[in-house]
Amino acid sequence: MTKVTTGNGIQSGKNGKEPFHERLPDGIPDFEKIENSSSFRELMRRKKRFLIPTTILFLGLYLLFNIVISYTDWLNATFIGDITWVWVFAFGLFAMTWILVTIYMKRAAKFDEMAKNTLKEFEYDEEETK
Amino acid sequence: MNATVISIFVFIVGITLVITYFAAKRTNSASDFYTAGGGLTGWQNGLAIAGDYLSAASFLGIAGAIALFGFDGFLFSIGYLVAYLVVLFIVAEPLRNLGKYTLADMINARFNAKKVRGAAALSSITIVIFYMIAQLVGAGALIQLLFGIDYIWAVLLVGIMMTIYVLFGGMTATSWVQIIKAVLLMIGTVILSFLVLKNFNFNILEMFTQMKTATPHGEAYLSPGVKYKIPLDTISLMLALVLGTAGLPHILMRFFTVKDAKTARSSVMWATWIVGIFYVMTIFLGFGAAAFVGSDLITATNPAGNMAAPLLAQALGGDVLMSFISAVAFATILAVVAGLVLTGASAFAHDIYGQIIKKGQATERQQMLAARYASLGVSAFSILLAIFAQSLNVAFLVSLAFCIAASANLPVILYTIFWKRFNTTGAVSAILTGLISALVLVSLSPSVMSPEAGAAIFVGDPIFPLTNPALFSVPLGFIGGWVGTMLSKERDLKKYSEVNVRANTGGFRQL
Repeated sequence: MTKVTTGNGIQSGKNGKEPFHERLPDGIPDFEKIENSSSFRELMRRKKRFLIPTTILFLGLYLLFNIVISYTDWLNATFIGDITWVWVFAFGLFAMTWILVTIYMKRAAKFDEMAKNTLKEFEYDEEETK
Repeated sequence: MNATVISIFVFIVGITLVITYFAAKRTNSASDFYTAGGGLTGWQNGLAIAGDYLSAASFLGIAGAIALFGFDGFLFSIGYLVAYLVVLFIVAEPLRNLGKYTLADMINARFNAKKVRGAAALSSITIVIFYMIAQLVGAGALIQLLFGIDYIWAVLLVGIMMTIYVLFGGMTATSWVQIIKAVLLMIGTVILSFLVLKNFNFNILEMFTQMKTATPHGEAYLSPGVKYKIPLDTISLMLALVLGTAGLPHILMRFFTVKDAKTARSSVMWATWIVGIFYVMTIFLGFGAAAFVGSDLITATNPAGNMAAPLLAQALGGDVLMSFISAVAFATILAVVAGLVLTGASAFAHDIYGQIIKKGQATERQQMLAARYASLGVSAFSILLAIFAQSLNVAFLVSLAFCIAASANLPVILYTIFWKRFNTTGAVSAILTGLISALVLVSLSPSVMSPEAGAAIFVGDPIFPLTNPALFSVPLGFIGGWVGTMLSKERDLKKYSEVNVRANTGGFRQL
């Protein structure tokens, strides 16, 4: 694979203007082929199956909390002593954040593995483009 | 002010200058200057992100808000923390995989057009300027109070210090100052929290019981609604907080200081734990200040409550702890404004000068010079604005910065990564719609127009009812991007395949 870097390094093509897939010599990966490969599609499917529901969950709980405390007094009931449910819910959101971060770190390690395999499949050498 | 105060101050400032000296020797390329050569590790960058995030507004502002308004002050802590999930799940990794120095780089990985880069640089600069004025005005007030010097000299002192960090040490110095400050801030907060808990006999239940009678609000202090009484306004503000972080340019820039997406991810994890633990402790700071300093003294010293934490330190730990907390607050402000200068300078020097004017053909020397001149320019401009903004109530500027970030930057980031049909026109219109709608709605809002003289910049009835317009401007940003995309026939599905593969695998970065 030929290494082609331009002045700013992130753009493609010799003058940094044209998309590289029309300009670079042979041996450059066909991104559409990678995108349509079963391993990449499996990676995206797994990623979405995790990210979409969890994002809806945490944003939903967060907004629900704000709507409930803005429009109702439901959470002002006592939990223990003078600590009300509103504090419990607030800490629940803290705990939720930490739990989801931890779960995501585990999942992401798996996504990394899958991404690496996809890249290998298309004979991409990591060292070459660094 | 006594010798202890001065020596603690000089010591902490001295450390940061030594760091800058060593960093300056290692800052030889544009990549060193903007991104510390991309060589930070996960925990280092995590601490630096936490450092950027725990600004004076977080540290002094939230402690003060909890002291004065109880639970409503804590709302900020919740929003700021949950926001990290948006950053981690959606933004951090694709951003690192696609970008190099700035947000505009990342969007330009897909749409290589001057107008897209220009629009992205414009929104970054606007956010940075608003954020910066708020920090500098707060800094001026704090230094004025601590040293007993005039406001103008206080702003100049902070301004000159931050310029030195950025000009000589670039991102390496800024990051290390940020890391050290984050550690000091955590130590100071742990000590203060411990002392507060000790005064409540380490009994959380007793603490809550005592707080029912400790403030003028009585029992209401422990419930929502003391400060934020209009439901839609609260929801709008909270929306800006949770979505804005993922669009703040100085936070996004931190993802370019690490080598790959994996490290970017682990730095968000570190930041989430550090920031989260800090925000839990803001309760102790706020409650402690309300109970052991008292809201009368807090508001008498500073009406916005910004001195609650230093006053608490004095009440529980005497002059030494007060000096330490104040010095940490000073370092906090310096480090945050230095990060902001660097972000603004990168938008000017890298995006506007390097990529738009020089078309990416600037030499390394030209890039470095441009970056340094831009840093000087951004510093001077914001110092000047901060001097004139002294009498303004700038608390709303930070939430406005979050609102613009959520309305102008987040939609374009999401569309760039996830929407195949998205195009150049859509990218420009998403940014501009979000930016303009946030600015216009704020200028018509009660933050700017109030019937009460002195409460806002202009006297008059507000045309738009919400103090923070995120509830409207964020959807407008998304709609703007969609309409712009549909109005133009342009589409490049091949390019999207490339972006999609690169964003999700992390491969082919240098192509």
